[in-house]
Amino acid sequence: MRRAAILGTAAVPVRKYQRKASEPIQTVEHEMIARLVVEAMQDAQVEKSEVNAIVCAHPRPYTKQKYFSTFMAHYLRLPCSGVVMETMGNGMTAALAFDKACDEILLGRAEVALAFGVNMEMSVTSAEHMKDSVRATGDVDFHSPSGLIPISWYAMDAVRYMHEYGATRAQLASVAVKNRAHAALNPLAQYRAPITLDEVLAQRPIVEPLGLYEVPPRGDGAACLVIVSEARAKASGLPYVLVRGRGFFHEGAHQISEVPNDMIRFVAAETAGRLAYEAAGIGPGDLDLAELYAPCTIVEVLAGEALGLAPRGQGAAAAAAGETRLGGRIPISTSGGLTSRGHPSYATPLYGMVELAEQLRGRAGARQVEDAELGLSSNELGNYNAALVHVLEARR
Amino acid sequence: MSGIEEMERIDVDRVRSYPPRTSEFTQPFWEALAAGRLQTTRCAACGALSFPPKPVCPHCWHGEVRWTPLQPLGRLYSWTRVHAGPEMFAAELPYEVGIVDLDAGLRLALRLVAVPGREFAPDMPVRLVVLRFRDGPLLAAMLR
Ligand SMILES: [Zn+2]
Repeated sequence: MRRAAILGTAAVPVRKYQRKASEPIQTVEHEMIARLVVEAMQDAQVEKSEVNAIVCAHPRPYTKQKYFSTFMAHYLRLPCSGVVMETMGNGMTAALAFDKACDEILLGRAEVALAFGVNMEMSVTSAEHMKDSVRATGDVDFHSPSGLIPISWYAMDAVRYMHEYGATRAQLASVAVKNRAHAALNPLAQYRAPITLDEVLAQRPIVEPLGLYEVPPRGDGAACLVIVSEARAKASGLPYVLVRGRGFFHEGAHQISEVPNDMIRFVAAETAGRLAYEAAGIGPGDLDLAELYAPCTIVEVLAGEALGLAPRGQGAAAAAAGETRLGGRIPISTSGGLTSRGHPSYATPLYGMVELAEQLRGRAGARQVEDAELGLSSNELGNYNAALVHVLEARR
Repeated sequence: MSGIEEMERIDVDRVRSYPPRTSEFTQPFWEALAAGRLQTTRCAACGALSFPPKPVCPHCWHGEVRWTPLQPLGRLYSWTRVHAGPEMFAAELPYEVGIVDLDAGLRLALRLVAVPGREFAPDMPVRLVVLRFRDGPLLAAMLR
Protein backbone atom coordinates (compact mmCIF):
# COMPACT_ATOMS: atom_id res chain seq x y z
CA MET A 1 0.00 0.00 0.00
CA ARG A 2 1.36 3.40 -0.99
CA ARG A 3 1.40 6.10 1.66
CA ALA A 4 2.11 9.82 1.45
CA ALA A 5 4.48 11.85 3.60
CA ILE A 6 5.41 15.49 4.17
CA LEU A 7 9.13 15.94 3.52
CA GLY A 8 9.51 19.70 3.15
CA THR A 9 7.69 22.85 4.26
CA ALA A 10 7.95 26.61 3.90
CA ALA A 11 5.68 29.50 4.87
CA VAL A 12 5.83 33.25 5.32
CA PRO A 13 4.77 34.81 8.64
CA VAL A 14 1.06 35.68 8.57
CA ARG A 15 0.58 39.44 8.30
CA LYS A 16 -0.50 42.14 5.88
CA TYR A 17 1.35 41.80 2.57
CA GLN A 18 -1.16 43.02 0.04
CA ARG A 19 -1.00 46.73 -0.72
CA LYS A 20 -3.63 49.12 -1.95
CA ALA A 21 -3.83 49.27 -5.75
CA SER A 22 -2.84 52.94 -5.55
CA GLU A 23 0.58 52.18 -4.02
CA PRO A 24 3.53 52.32 -6.42
CA ILE A 25 5.08 49.05 -5.25
CA GLN A 26 2.87 45.95 -5.06
CA THR A 27 3.21 42.49 -3.53
CA VAL A 28 3.03 39.88 -6.28
CA GLU A 29 1.75 36.46 -5.25
CA HIS A 30 3.64 34.33 -7.75
CA GLU A 31 6.98 35.76 -6.65
CA MET A 32 6.13 34.82 -3.08
CA ILE A 33 5.08 31.28 -4.03
CA ALA A 34 8.13 30.74 -6.25
CA ARG A 35 10.43 31.57 -3.33
CA LEU A 36 8.47 29.27 -1.00
CA VAL A 37 8.54 26.36 -3.47
CA VAL A 38 12.32 26.61 -3.71
CA GLU A 39 12.64 26.90 0.06
CA ALA A 40 10.37 23.88 0.70
CA MET A 41 12.23 21.85 -1.94
CA GLN A 42 15.55 22.67 -0.26
CA ASP A 43 14.02 21.61 3.06
CA ALA A 44 13.02 18.28 1.46
CA GLN A 45 16.30 17.95 -0.46
CA VAL A 46 14.31 16.93 -3.52
CA GLU A 47 15.31 17.66 -7.13
CA LYS A 48 13.04 19.75 -9.31
CA SER A 49 12.89 16.94 -11.91
CA GLU A 50 11.22 14.65 -9.36
CA VAL A 51 8.12 16.85 -8.99
CA ASN A 52 5.23 15.52 -11.03
CA ALA A 53 2.08 17.21 -9.64
CA ILE A 54 0.94 20.63 -8.44
CA VAL A 55 -2.16 21.15 -6.34
CA CYS A 56 -2.78 24.74 -5.43
CA ALA A 57 -5.40 26.32 -3.18
CA HIS A 58 -7.54 28.65 -5.26
CA PRO A 59 -6.50 32.23 -4.41
CA ARG A 60 -8.87 35.00 -3.32
CA PRO A 61 -10.54 37.04 -6.09
CA TYR A 62 -8.23 39.90 -5.00
CA THR A 63 -5.26 38.03 -6.53
CA LYS A 64 -4.85 39.50 -9.98
CA GLN A 65 -3.24 36.50 -11.69
CA LYS A 66 -5.88 33.98 -12.73
CA TYR A 67 -5.52 30.22 -13.30
CA PHE A 68 -2.84 30.31 -10.67
CA SER A 69 -1.78 26.64 -10.76
CA THR A 70 -1.13 26.51 -14.48
CA PHE A 71 0.51 29.91 -14.29
CA MET A 72 2.87 28.60 -11.60
CA ALA A 73 3.68 25.53 -13.72
CA HIS A 74 4.86 28.04 -16.30
CA TYR A 75 6.54 30.43 -13.87
CA LEU A 76 8.60 27.56 -12.42
CA ARG A 77 9.02 25.66 -15.72
CA LEU A 78 7.52 22.53 -14.20
CA PRO A 79 6.14 19.95 -16.64
CA CYS A 80 3.92 17.38 -14.87
CA SER A 81 2.15 14.16 -15.88
CA GLY A 82 0.31 14.12 -12.56
CA VAL A 83 -2.33 16.75 -11.99
CA VAL A 84 -1.96 20.55 -12.16
CA MET A 85 -5.04 22.05 -10.54
CA GLU A 86 -6.62 24.34 -7.96
CA THR A 87 -8.92 23.35 -5.13
CA MET A 88 -11.86 25.28 -3.68
CA GLY A 89 -14.03 24.50 -0.67
CA ASN A 90 -14.48 27.53 1.57
CA GLY A 91 -12.32 27.22 4.69
CA MET A 92 -11.30 23.74 3.61
CA THR A 93 -9.76 25.00 0.35
CA ALA A 94 -6.10 24.55 1.29
CA ALA A 95 -6.77 21.29 3.15
CA LEU A 96 -8.17 19.92 -0.12
CA ALA A 97 -4.95 21.02 -1.84
CA PHE A 98 -2.99 18.93 0.66
CA ASP A 99 -5.42 16.03 0.35
CA LYS A 100 -5.43 15.98 -3.46
CA ALA A 101 -1.63 16.23 -3.58
CA CYS A 102 -1.52 13.16 -1.30
CA ASP A 103 -3.95 11.43 -3.69
CA GLU A 104 -1.50 11.91 -6.58
CA ILE A 105 1.07 10.07 -4.49
CA LEU A 106 -1.39 7.33 -3.48
CA LEU A 107 -2.47 6.84 -7.10
CA GLY A 108 1.14 6.46 -8.14
CA ARG A 109 1.00 9.40 -10.53
CA ALA A 110 3.76 11.19 -8.69
CA GLU A 111 6.59 10.42 -6.29
CA VAL A 112 6.75 14.11 -5.40
CA ALA A 113 3.83 16.56 -5.42
CA LEU A 114 3.62 20.19 -4.41
CA ALA A 115 0.72 21.57 -2.35
CA PHE A 116 0.73 25.32 -1.96
CA GLY A 117 -1.56 28.25 -1.41
CA VAL A 118 -1.50 31.99 -1.16
CA ASN A 119 -4.19 34.16 0.42
CA MET A 120 -4.10 37.88 -0.22
CA GLU A 121 -7.01 40.03 0.94
CA MET A 122 -5.68 42.82 3.15
CA SER A 123 -6.06 45.58 0.58
CA VAL A 124 -9.81 45.08 0.94
CA THR A 125 -11.74 46.35 4.00
CA SER A 126 -13.63 43.87 6.20
CA ALA A 127 -17.01 45.40 5.35
CA GLU A 128 -16.20 45.15 1.64
CA HIS A 129 -14.84 41.61 2.00
CA MET A 130 -17.93 40.45 3.91
CA LYS A 131 -20.13 41.58 1.01
CA ASP A 132 -18.77 38.56 -0.78
CA SER A 133 -18.55 36.15 2.15
CA VAL A 134 -22.28 36.40 3.00
CA ARG A 135 -22.78 34.60 -0.29
CA ALA A 136 -20.67 31.67 0.88
CA THR A 137 -22.18 30.69 4.20
CA GLY A 138 -25.89 30.52 3.67
CA ASP A 139 -28.67 30.41 1.08
CA VAL A 140 -28.27 33.68 -0.82
CA ASP A 141 -32.04 34.11 -1.11
CA PHE A 142 -33.25 32.72 2.21
CA HIS A 143 -30.35 33.40 4.65
CA SER A 144 -28.13 36.21 3.40
CA PRO A 145 -30.99 38.80 3.19
CA SER A 146 -31.44 38.54 6.98
CA GLY A 147 -27.83 39.59 7.60
CA LEU A 148 -26.38 36.22 8.60
CA ILE A 149 -22.61 36.35 8.22
CA PRO A 150 -20.09 33.48 8.40
CA ILE A 151 -19.19 33.92 12.07
CA SER A 152 -22.78 34.53 13.15
CA TRP A 153 -23.31 30.77 12.88
CA TYR A 154 -20.42 30.10 15.25
CA ALA A 155 -21.79 32.71 17.66
CA MET A 156 -25.09 30.84 17.69
CA ASP A 157 -23.15 27.66 18.44
CA ALA A 158 -21.66 29.46 21.44
CA VAL A 159 -25.03 30.66 22.74
CA ARG A 160 -26.49 27.19 22.45
CA TYR A 161 -23.43 25.54 24.03
CA MET A 162 -23.50 27.87 27.03
CA HIS A 163 -27.24 27.28 27.35
CA GLU A 164 -27.02 23.49 27.25
CA TYR A 165 -23.88 22.86 29.24
CA GLY A 166 -23.58 25.89 31.49
CA ALA A 167 -20.20 26.75 30.00
CA THR A 168 -19.12 30.28 30.88
CA ARG A 169 -17.90 33.22 28.82
CA ALA A 170 -14.59 33.04 30.66
CA GLN A 171 -14.14 29.36 29.80
CA LEU A 172 -14.63 30.07 26.09
CA ALA A 173 -12.38 33.14 26.26
CA SER A 174 -9.62 31.07 27.84
CA VAL A 175 -9.14 29.43 24.42
CA ALA A 176 -8.06 32.79 22.98
CA VAL A 177 -5.63 33.39 25.88
CA LYS A 178 -4.12 29.95 25.38
CA ASN A 179 -3.77 30.42 21.62
CA ARG A 180 -2.04 33.77 22.11
CA ALA A 181 0.43 32.20 24.52
CA HIS A 182 1.22 29.59 21.85
CA ALA A 183 1.53 32.25 19.14
CA ALA A 184 4.03 34.15 21.29
CA LEU A 185 6.38 31.22 20.63
CA ASN A 186 5.67 30.93 16.89
CA PRO A 187 7.65 33.15 14.50
CA LEU A 188 4.99 32.55 11.79
CA ALA A 189 2.21 33.97 13.98
CA GLN A 190 0.45 37.26 13.28
CA TYR A 191 -0.42 38.27 16.87
CA ARG A 192 2.25 37.41 19.43
CA ALA A 193 1.88 39.80 22.36
CA PRO A 194 0.43 37.87 25.32
CA ILE A 195 -3.13 38.73 26.40
CA THR A 196 -5.04 38.15 29.63
CA LEU A 197 -8.47 36.68 30.19
CA ASP A 198 -9.75 40.09 31.33
CA GLU A 199 -8.50 41.65 28.10
CA VAL A 200 -10.28 39.04 25.99
CA LEU A 201 -13.52 39.56 27.92
CA ALA A 202 -13.23 43.35 27.65
CA GLN A 203 -13.05 43.41 23.83
CA ARG A 204 -15.92 44.98 21.91
CA PRO A 205 -18.58 42.47 20.85
CA ILE A 206 -18.46 41.29 17.23
CA VAL A 207 -21.11 38.56 17.20
CA GLU A 208 -22.44 38.13 20.73
CA PRO A 209 -21.25 36.55 22.93
CA LEU A 210 -17.95 36.59 21.02
CA GLY A 211 -15.72 39.64 21.10
CA LEU A 212 -12.86 40.81 18.92
CA TYR A 213 -10.25 38.38 20.25
CA GLU A 214 -12.54 35.36 19.85
CA VAL A 215 -13.21 35.76 16.16
CA PRO A 216 -10.64 35.33 13.40
CA PRO A 217 -8.36 38.21 12.51
CA ARG A 218 -7.78 38.77 8.80
CA GLY A 219 -4.37 38.32 7.25
CA ASP A 220 -2.30 37.49 4.21
CA GLY A 221 -0.12 34.40 3.98
CA ALA A 222 1.39 31.72 1.79
CA ALA A 223 2.73 28.23 2.39
CA CYS A 224 4.13 25.29 0.44
CA LEU A 225 4.41 21.60 1.30
CA VAL A 226 6.47 18.96 -0.50
CA ILE A 227 4.50 15.71 -0.43
CA VAL A 228 6.33 12.50 -1.35
CA SER A 229 5.77 8.76 -1.35
CA GLU A 230 6.73 6.91 1.81
CA ALA A 231 9.52 5.16 -0.11
CA ARG A 232 10.93 8.47 -1.33
CA ALA A 233 10.70 9.88 2.21
CA LYS A 234 12.56 6.89 3.64
CA ALA A 235 15.24 7.15 0.97
CA SER A 236 15.86 10.79 1.89
CA GLY A 237 17.33 9.88 5.26
CA LEU A 238 15.58 12.96 6.66
CA PRO A 239 12.97 13.11 9.39
CA TYR A 240 9.53 13.12 7.74
CA VAL A 241 5.86 13.09 8.56
CA LEU A 242 3.76 10.14 7.44
CA VAL A 243 0.07 10.60 6.63
CA ARG A 244 -1.15 7.64 8.64
CA GLY A 245 -4.90 8.16 8.49
CA ARG A 246 -7.44 10.32 6.72
CA GLY A 247 -11.17 10.85 6.97
CA PHE A 248 -13.70 13.09 5.29
CA PHE A 249 -17.38 13.61 5.93
CA HIS A 250 -19.97 16.07 4.62
CA GLU A 251 -23.19 15.83 6.57
CA GLY A 252 -25.36 16.75 3.58
CA ALA A 253 -26.31 20.09 5.11
CA HIS A 254 -24.78 23.54 4.68
CA GLN A 255 -24.77 25.92 7.68
CA ILE A 256 -28.13 24.66 8.90
CA SER A 257 -30.16 21.46 8.75
CA GLU A 258 -33.81 22.19 8.01
CA VAL A 259 -34.55 19.04 10.02
CA PRO A 260 -33.86 20.15 13.60
CA ASN A 261 -30.72 18.46 14.91
CA ASP A 262 -28.15 18.86 17.65
CA MET A 263 -26.26 21.66 15.87
CA ILE A 264 -23.38 21.79 18.36
CA ARG A 265 -22.55 18.14 17.96
CA PHE A 266 -20.20 18.48 15.00
CA VAL A 267 -21.22 15.24 13.27
CA ALA A 268 -18.87 15.82 10.32
CA ALA A 269 -15.84 16.16 12.60
CA GLU A 270 -17.01 13.18 14.64
CA THR A 271 -17.38 10.97 11.55
CA ALA A 272 -14.29 12.17 9.65
CA GLY A 273 -12.33 11.81 12.90
CA ARG A 274 -13.53 8.25 13.42
CA LEU A 275 -12.60 7.33 9.85
CA ALA A 276 -9.13 8.88 10.26
CA TYR A 277 -8.55 7.17 13.64
CA GLU A 278 -9.65 3.81 12.18
CA ALA A 279 -7.37 4.21 9.17
CA ALA A 280 -4.47 5.07 11.46
CA GLY A 281 -5.32 2.32 13.92
CA ILE A 282 -5.27 4.73 16.85
CA GLY A 283 -7.68 6.53 19.16
CA PRO A 284 -7.81 10.16 20.27
CA GLY A 285 -6.00 9.23 23.47
CA ASP A 286 -2.91 8.31 21.45
CA LEU A 287 -2.45 11.82 20.04
CA ASP A 288 0.32 14.12 21.26
CA LEU A 289 -1.14 17.29 19.74
CA ALA A 290 -3.84 18.61 17.38
CA GLU A 291 -4.13 21.57 15.01
CA LEU A 292 -7.78 22.44 14.62
CA TYR A 293 -9.25 24.79 12.04
CA ALA A 294 -11.21 26.92 14.48
CA PRO A 295 -12.08 30.47 13.40
CA CYS A 296 -13.69 31.21 16.79
CA THR A 297 -12.97 30.02 20.33
CA ILE A 298 -16.22 28.05 20.46
CA VAL A 299 -15.28 26.14 17.29
CA GLU A 300 -12.08 24.82 18.88
CA VAL A 301 -14.14 23.61 21.82
CA LEU A 302 -16.82 21.89 19.74
CA ALA A 303 -14.40 20.38 17.21
CA GLY A 304 -12.23 19.14 20.06
CA GLU A 305 -15.22 17.43 21.63
CA ALA A 306 -16.33 15.89 18.32
CA LEU A 307 -12.83 14.54 17.74
CA GLY A 308 -12.77 12.92 21.17
CA LEU A 309 -10.19 15.30 22.68
CA ALA A 310 -12.60 16.19 25.50
CA PRO A 311 -15.91 14.71 26.66
CA ARG A 312 -19.06 16.36 25.31
CA GLY A 313 -19.95 19.54 27.11
CA GLN A 314 -16.61 19.67 28.89
CA GLY A 315 -14.36 21.11 26.18
CA ALA A 316 -14.58 24.69 27.42
CA ALA A 317 -13.89 23.67 31.01
CA ALA A 318 -10.96 21.54 29.81
CA ALA A 319 -9.50 24.55 27.97
CA ALA A 320 -9.95 26.77 31.03
CA ALA A 321 -8.21 24.11 33.15
CA GLY A 322 -5.16 24.25 30.88
CA GLU A 323 -5.60 20.77 29.39
CA THR A 324 -5.15 22.08 25.84
CA ARG A 325 -2.12 24.27 26.55
CA LEU A 326 1.47 23.35 25.76
CA GLY A 327 2.41 21.00 28.58
CA GLY A 328 -1.25 20.09 29.11
CA ARG A 329 -3.01 16.77 28.52
CA ILE A 330 -3.53 17.38 24.79
CA PRO A 331 -2.02 20.59 23.37
CA ILE A 332 -4.35 22.09 20.76
CA SER A 333 -3.20 24.57 18.12
CA THR A 334 0.38 25.03 19.28
CA SER A 335 0.76 27.40 16.30
CA GLY A 336 -1.53 29.89 18.01
CA GLY A 337 -4.54 28.75 16.00
CA LEU A 338 -6.64 30.89 13.72
CA THR A 339 -7.26 33.49 16.43
CA SER A 340 -3.55 34.32 16.96
CA ARG A 341 -1.33 32.50 14.45
CA GLY A 342 -3.70 34.13 11.99
CA HIS A 343 -6.23 33.18 9.35
CA PRO A 344 -5.19 33.83 5.76
CA SER A 345 -8.25 31.79 4.92
CA TYR A 346 -7.39 30.02 1.68
CA ALA A 347 -3.93 29.13 3.02
CA THR A 348 -4.85 28.50 6.67
CA PRO A 349 -5.02 24.67 6.58
CA LEU A 350 -1.51 24.56 5.06
CA TYR A 351 -0.26 26.57 8.05
CA GLY A 352 -1.79 23.91 10.29
CA MET A 353 0.12 21.24 8.35
CA VAL A 354 3.34 23.27 8.58
CA GLU A 355 2.93 23.46 12.36
CA LEU A 356 2.35 19.71 12.67
CA ALA A 357 5.32 19.03 10.40
CA GLU A 358 7.53 21.27 12.56
CA GLN A 359 6.36 19.57 15.75
CA LEU A 360 6.64 16.03 14.38
CA ARG A 361 10.15 16.70 13.05
CA GLY A 362 11.21 18.15 16.41
CA ARG A 363 11.79 21.63 14.98
CA ALA A 364 9.21 23.66 16.91
CA GLY A 365 11.72 25.31 19.24
CA ALA A 366 10.25 26.87 22.39
CA ARG A 367 6.80 25.48 21.62
CA GLN A 368 7.98 21.92 20.94
CA VAL A 369 5.68 19.22 22.31
CA GLU A 370 8.10 16.79 23.90
CA ASP A 371 8.52 13.51 21.99
CA ALA A 372 5.62 14.34 19.69
CA GLU A 373 4.80 11.19 17.70
CA LEU A 374 1.19 11.57 16.57
CA GLY A 375 -0.59 14.73 15.51
CA LEU A 376 -4.07 15.44 14.18
CA SER A 377 -5.21 18.02 11.67
CA SER A 378 -8.88 18.90 11.27
CA ASN A 379 -10.25 21.32 8.71
CA GLU A 380 -13.81 22.32 7.94
CA LEU A 381 -16.27 24.36 5.95
CA GLY A 382 -19.58 26.01 6.80
CA ASN A 383 -20.53 25.47 10.42
CA TYR A 384 -18.30 22.36 10.49
CA ASN A 385 -20.79 20.79 8.05
CA ALA A 386 -17.86 19.04 6.39
CA ALA A 387 -14.60 17.98 7.98
CA LEU A 388 -11.32 16.71 6.57
CA VAL A 389 -9.15 15.03 9.19
CA HIS A 390 -5.60 13.72 8.89
CA VAL A 391 -3.55 11.75 11.42
CA LEU A 392 0.16 12.43 10.99
CA GLU A 393 3.03 10.43 12.41
CA ALA A 394 6.64 11.39 13.13
CA ARG A 395 9.26 9.25 11.34
CA ARG A 396 12.87 9.92 12.21
CA MET B 1 -56.84 25.58 6.22
CA SER B 2 -58.21 26.22 9.68
CA GLY B 3 -56.12 26.95 12.72
CA ILE B 4 -53.24 28.53 10.83
CA GLU B 5 -52.46 31.98 12.15
CA GLU B 6 -51.78 34.93 9.93
CA MET B 7 -48.49 36.66 10.63
CA GLU B 8 -48.25 40.22 11.88
CA ARG B 9 -46.96 42.57 9.18
CA ILE B 10 -44.53 45.25 10.30
CA ASP B 11 -43.83 48.13 7.94
CA VAL B 12 -40.16 49.08 7.46
CA ASP B 13 -39.61 52.36 5.66
CA ARG B 14 -36.64 51.43 3.51
CA VAL B 15 -35.59 48.81 0.97
CA ARG B 16 -34.08 45.45 1.87
CA SER B 17 -30.29 45.59 2.33
CA TYR B 18 -29.68 42.37 0.40
CA PRO B 19 -32.86 41.52 -1.50
CA PRO B 20 -33.60 37.87 -2.25
CA ARG B 21 -34.32 36.71 -5.79
CA THR B 22 -37.70 35.34 -6.75
CA SER B 23 -37.88 32.43 -9.16
CA GLU B 24 -40.98 31.21 -10.93
CA PHE B 25 -40.95 28.38 -8.45
CA THR B 26 -40.50 30.46 -5.24
CA GLN B 27 -42.90 33.19 -6.35
CA PRO B 28 -45.85 31.63 -4.43
CA PHE B 29 -43.73 31.70 -1.25
CA TRP B 30 -42.93 35.41 -1.55
CA GLU B 31 -46.49 36.36 -2.59
CA ALA B 32 -47.97 34.48 0.36
CA LEU B 33 -45.39 36.02 2.68
CA ALA B 34 -46.35 39.51 1.52
CA ALA B 35 -49.94 38.62 2.43
CA GLY B 36 -48.91 37.40 5.91
CA ARG B 37 -49.03 33.68 5.22
CA LEU B 38 -46.15 31.26 5.66
CA GLN B 39 -46.05 28.31 3.31
CA THR B 40 -43.50 25.86 2.01
CA THR B 41 -43.33 22.68 -0.04
CA ARG B 42 -44.31 19.21 1.11
CA CYS B 43 -43.29 16.09 -0.80
CA ALA B 44 -46.19 14.39 -2.56
CA ALA B 45 -44.54 10.99 -2.03
CA CYS B 46 -42.94 10.88 1.42
CA GLY B 47 -44.69 13.84 3.00
CA ALA B 48 -41.52 15.57 4.23
CA LEU B 49 -41.52 19.35 4.50
CA SER B 50 -38.71 21.42 2.99
CA PHE B 51 -37.37 24.82 3.83
CA PRO B 52 -36.53 26.79 1.79
CA PRO B 53 -39.22 25.52 -0.61
CA LYS B 54 -37.72 23.20 -3.22
CA PRO B 55 -39.03 21.82 -6.52
CA VAL B 56 -37.77 18.34 -5.61
CA CYS B 57 -37.94 16.57 -2.28
CA PRO B 58 -34.42 16.63 -0.76
CA HIS B 59 -35.20 13.50 1.27
CA CYS B 60 -36.52 11.04 -1.36
CA TRP B 61 -35.80 13.08 -4.52
CA HIS B 62 -39.41 12.75 -5.67
CA GLY B 63 -40.17 15.43 -8.24
CA GLU B 64 -43.70 16.36 -7.17
CA VAL B 65 -44.23 18.73 -4.25
CA ARG B 66 -47.23 20.69 -2.95
CA TRP B 67 -47.48 24.06 -1.24
CA THR B 68 -48.59 23.68 2.34
CA PRO B 69 -49.32 26.35 4.96
CA LEU B 70 -47.24 26.43 8.14
CA GLN B 71 -48.18 27.58 11.61
CA PRO B 72 -45.81 30.53 12.22
CA LEU B 73 -44.96 29.45 15.77
CA GLY B 74 -41.88 27.88 17.25
CA ARG B 75 -38.98 28.18 19.65
CA LEU B 76 -35.69 30.00 19.47
CA TYR B 77 -32.89 27.43 19.17
CA SER B 78 -30.14 30.03 19.27
CA TRP B 79 -29.41 33.65 18.39
CA THR B 80 -26.71 36.30 18.16
CA ARG B 81 -26.39 40.07 17.89
CA VAL B 82 -24.21 41.11 14.96
CA HIS B 83 -22.06 44.20 15.60
CA ALA B 84 -19.74 44.03 12.58
CA GLY B 85 -21.40 43.28 9.28
CA PRO B 86 -21.05 43.61 5.55
CA GLU B 87 -21.24 47.02 3.92
CA MET B 88 -24.84 46.65 2.78
CA PHE B 89 -26.03 46.02 6.37
CA ALA B 90 -23.94 48.83 7.92
CA ALA B 91 -26.96 51.10 8.54
CA GLU B 92 -28.75 48.33 10.47
CA LEU B 93 -25.95 47.45 12.92
CA PRO B 94 -26.26 46.07 15.47
CA TYR B 95 -29.00 43.60 14.55
CA GLU B 96 -30.13 40.20 15.80
CA VAL B 97 -30.42 36.93 13.88
CA GLY B 98 -31.56 33.58 15.15
CA ILE B 99 -32.40 29.96 14.47
CA VAL B 100 -36.03 28.98 15.03
CA ASP B 101 -37.48 25.49 15.31
CA LEU B 102 -41.05 25.65 14.04
CA ASP B 103 -43.66 23.52 15.78
CA ALA B 104 -44.12 21.83 12.37
CA GLY B 105 -40.62 20.36 12.70
CA LEU B 106 -38.63 22.68 10.44
CA ARG B 107 -35.56 24.70 11.36
CA LEU B 108 -35.16 28.21 9.92
CA ALA B 109 -32.52 30.92 10.24
CA LEU B 110 -33.83 34.48 10.08
CA ARG B 111 -33.76 38.06 11.34
CA LEU B 112 -35.08 38.67 14.85
CA VAL B 113 -37.17 41.66 15.86
CA ALA B 114 -36.29 42.87 19.34
CA VAL B 115 -38.99 43.62 21.92
CA PRO B 116 -37.84 46.49 24.19
CA GLY B 117 -36.92 45.27 27.66
CA ARG B 118 -36.82 41.59 26.72
CA GLU B 119 -33.56 39.81 25.86
CA PHE B 120 -33.47 36.74 23.65
CA ALA B 121 -32.53 33.35 25.09
CA PRO B 122 -32.55 29.80 23.71
CA ASP B 123 -35.82 27.86 23.95
CA MET B 124 -37.99 30.99 24.24
CA PRO B 125 -41.28 30.73 22.33
CA VAL B 126 -41.39 32.90 19.22
CA ARG B 127 -43.84 33.81 16.49
CA LEU B 128 -42.87 34.60 12.95
CA VAL B 129 -43.67 38.01 11.51
CA VAL B 130 -43.37 39.66 8.11
CA LEU B 131 -41.13 42.69 7.72
CA ARG B 132 -42.79 44.73 4.96
CA PHE B 133 -39.98 46.71 3.31
CA ARG B 134 -40.64 49.18 0.51
CA ASP B 135 -39.38 46.68 -2.05
CA GLY B 136 -40.81 43.46 -0.65
CA PRO B 137 -41.17 41.20 2.40
CA LEU B 138 -38.71 39.36 4.65
CA LEU B 139 -39.50 36.71 7.24
CA ALA B 140 -38.47 37.44 10.84
CA ALA B 141 -39.24 36.22 14.36
CA MET B 142 -40.31 37.91 17.62
CA LEU B 143 -40.56 36.68 21.18
CA ARG B 144 -44.10 35.64 22.11
ZN1 LIG C 1 -39.95 12.97 -0.37
